[in-house]
Amino acid sequence: MTKRGKLEIRRDILNIIRDNKNSIKPTPLLRKSKLSSKVFQGYYSELIEKSLIQEVTSKNQETYVNLTEKGFRFLERYKAIVDFIEEFEL
Amino acid sequence: MHPEMGAEIIYSFVIIICSLMVYFGTKELYELSSHKGIKYFRQAFLFFAIAYFFRSIIMYALFLFNFKEVLDISPMLIGEVTLFLFVYFSSMAVFSLLYSVMWKKWNGGSRKIYLFHFLAVIIAFLSLIPRSPALRFGLNILLFLIIVFTVYQVYREGKNRKKRSSLYAIYMLLFLFFLLNIFDILIPNFLTQFKLIIYLASITIFLLILYKVLKKT
Repeated sequence: MTKRGKLEIRRDILNIIRDNKNSIKPTPLLRKSKLSSKVFQGYYSELIEKSLIQEVTSKNQETYVNLTEKGFRFLERYKAIVDFIEEFEL
Repeated sequence: MHPEMGAEIIYSFVIIICSLMVYFGTKELYELSSHKGIKYFRQAFLFFAIAYFFRSIIMYALFLFNFKEVLDISPMLIGEVTLFLFVYFSSMAVFSLLYSVMWKKWNGGSRKIYLFHFLAVIIAFLSLIPRSPALRFGLNILLFLIIVFTVYQVYREGKNRKKRSSLYAIYMLLFLFFLLNIFDILIPNFLTQFKLIIYLASITIFLLILYKVLKKT
């Protein structure tokens, strides 16, 4: 298996959330992302900080993660982003 | 208006518009990805736009409105400040473009960008030294050779050379025409007879890059 790049990992995390009807708890998200806990925490915080995902607390005080509009847009534009980076060798 | 001034204004205007279209056209891709390469690529074109603004638009404003009478500021001082800003921003544009393709190789250390700012300030200060065309010429040639060597190294180590050769050719030409533009400003009567060809070639390079950007965004 080849090593995933940063953008690819972000896309994978966002895809997992979207494929779970846009609502998943952080622990199964960590498990499905196939990352170490420390690495996952870094990406998780970064995605929240960049407003690609958001945490929502349910009535029974459980935390769920949702994609924001920007998160959905990232997934839509992912191919364009990668093509652009490849085209200009960035 | 003097025809040369008219050509100068149109030339700068086209370069500024192309550069700003690249800058704003890639805004969403950067906001979504926060990719460092895209960040410096965009910055390069913003710096190009600012540099060309100082190159011609301010000169034109001085010529048109006669600032000396309006603001009572020496045109010599305005000229030197404008020249300093032009050389600083155009050097930063080239450094940013170089950094956008080199940041991974340089381990993403953002300290280098401060070094580039420092170098650009030094180059801009040196361009103000009067009666030293040889120094200006030598300095810019040296800068150009360093950039060409660095870009060539990346190209040589690239995996898919065939596909990427057109991009590197465009970058090399961009750096070359940037250099000629610097000489055009710094050294009086340098390549006067080729001015129009240099302008047209520079515009073609910017339009080519803009086309590549629009195709991919």
